[in-house]
Amino acid sequence: MATTTINKAVNEFNQQVKPVSLWADAWRRLAKNRMALIALWIVVIYAAVGLLAPILPIFDYSHQEIMFQNIPPSLRPAGEVAVDQATKKLDQLRALVASGRNDLQDDLTKATSDLEALKVMVQSDPAANNVYILGTDYLGRDMLARTIYGGRISMLVGLVGTITAMLIGVIFGAIAGYVGGRADNLMMRFVDIMYSLPYMLIVIIMMSMFNRSGAIVIIFVAIALVSWLTIARVVRGQVISLKNAEFIEAARCMGAGPIRIIFKYLLPNILGVIIIFTTLSIPSFIMSESFLSYLGLGISAPLASWGTLVSDGVQGMELYPWRLLVPAITMTVFLFAMNFLGDGLRDAFDPQSKNRA
Amino acid sequence: MTKFIIRRFLSLIPTMFVIITLTFFLIRVAPGGPFSREGHQSEQIQQNLLKKYHMDEPLIQQYLRYFGNVLRGDFGPSLVYQESTVNDLVGLTFPVSILLGVTALTLSVVFGIMVGIVSALRQNRWQDYSAMSIAVIGISVPLFVTGPILQLVFAMKLHWLPVAGWVMGRAGALAIIMPAITLSFPFFAYIARMSRASILEVLRADYVRTARAKGLKESVVIAKHVLKGALLPVVSYLGPAFVDIITGSLVVESTFAIPGIGRIFVQSALNRDYTLIMATVIIYALILVTMNFLVDIVYSVLDPRIAYK
Repeated sequence: MATTTINKAVNEFNQQVKPVSLWADAWRRLAKNRMALIALWIVVIYAAVGLLAPILPIFDYSHQEIMFQNIPPSLRPAGEVAVDQATKKLDQLRALVASGRNDLQDDLTKATSDLEALKVMVQSDPAANNVYILGTDYLGRDMLARTIYGGRISMLVGLVGTITAMLIGVIFGAIAGYVGGRADNLMMRFVDIMYSLPYMLIVIIMMSMFNRSGAIVIIFVAIALVSWLTIARVVRGQVISLKNAEFIEAARCMGAGPIRIIFKYLLPNILGVIIIFTTLSIPSFIMSESFLSYLGLGISAPLASWGTLVSDGVQGMELYPWRLLVPAITMTVFLFAMNFLGDGLRDAFDPQSKNRA
Repeated sequence: MTKFIIRRFLSLIPTMFVIITLTFFLIRVAPGGPFSREGHQSEQIQQNLLKKYHMDEPLIQQYLRYFGNVLRGDFGPSLVYQESTVNDLVGLTFPVSILLGVTALTLSVVFGIMVGIVSALRQNRWQDYSAMSIAVIGISVPLFVTGPILQLVFAMKLHWLPVAGWVMGRAGALAIIMPAITLSFPFFAYIARMSRASILEVLRADYVRTARAKGLKESVVIAKHVLKGALLPVVSYLGPAFVDIITGSLVVESTFAIPGIGRIFVQSALNRDYTLIMATVIIYALILVTMNFLVDIVYSVLDPRIAYK
């Protein structure tokens, strides 16, 4: 795509100015921004892992190994880790009993026999050879697989929500801006009123009332319905500032209808703004989804999103901190990268820095 | 000016009307109701319950009745917590959430602006870089990650602060520290970034150069000339920020087991407690529109360029 736009741009520019298309110029500036580039790579890696999850050599995200619950992150087979854990617990108990806690005598005998049973189990159970790099959760499910699959859902929610919001917002804003007059006034009044609704509350009401079955679709609908407003305003403003430009007039003289003008001439020119908004709204969608999931109104088991994983991890975080930290850190890194990328794109597309470093 | 305020105030009425109407019908079209949960009651009891709360009437009549009651300040009885009225429940929980919200907002404004000033004045030095890195963390880390991690570190490992609870509890005022910090962190970060950017912009303005050329002390230039112009965007952010803080307090209240209105709201939505949902939504919406109203007025006072149209 970059090459064709460069070819077009050459004809439009004065000879004295070095001919650079908006895209090439923006890319050049983005490439100089170290943090934004790193962020871009992180996002690419996350997206690749999410896409390739079904063929990656990881365990099934919903498979439960009841024998190996709450195994800490380790590079050794689960069986060994479990035996270590049980031995450590036994030692603690033994020390307690030795220090005079005779009431724990029964527990000690039970723990000893449990350990023996566990050792036998580990010998025969093939699952004992599984290596859980990031540990397991309270049902013995692999944290790595759950985090990856949770990320798939979270990123999907972010992407679908953003695309829906973009479509509604761009079309609404472009029409309002282009038509102008009373229609514009009416449409924007509507946006103003929608803006002042406590939207998170309405989403929560919708989720709690309509989402008995835990369908992801409702989340998409609920979040997208209320989040197209900002982009509609921005697009409208941009369209108004562009619609009297000469090239639009030229298009109109050639007989282009309003729909053709909007989609062929106006929208491509404000694509930069739309892209920046898209990048910045993906993390906010992911946040909204996980916010709902944290409150218990989002994705339901056995599916998971980063929000539900964090919410699960909070229970028992003192004893099993990895169950909280693994999804929390994974999610934070992604949001971090998306925010950096968005900032970088905003700087890169800033028209004031055109042809500058 | 007065005309502007009155006009702006009158525009709140349609907004509130839309919110109340939308919520009323949204919760009614959803399947299920407050009394249809376990089905342990007989048909007759169901009928009587519906009759008692006027829920056997046509929807539009119920709507008009409800609207009339709300205008008189009566939110009706709670349909699930049948021993108390909605006014009681809201009266108990609302101050808690407001205290938490106001504390968090104050923290984020005070520290946000301070950090913003420092990083703008020390632009591209280590103070700036470290402050802005913290700010990006603040924006990227969700509340429900910050909260539990603070609990893990300061309550469970270090035992400095209580894990959860509220100021009425055993721990007293200490209990507000972690929730308030958790809640204020993203807003602190946002305000810090915003005030830094706008201070940097104002520092380049001609009138600041003039003020310096007059030989004013740097501290006077910053306090009287720069800050007054630079804080406008921060002021206009306060409205949306307070609204987001109130929403965010849903998560913070559930993380730290705080008996605020946010917990009641989520519970009532799950229980189909129609009257309680309506009341909480109305209160949230009222806060939202009043904050936006106040911000608009403060903004027009601070910035004489804004026409009172």
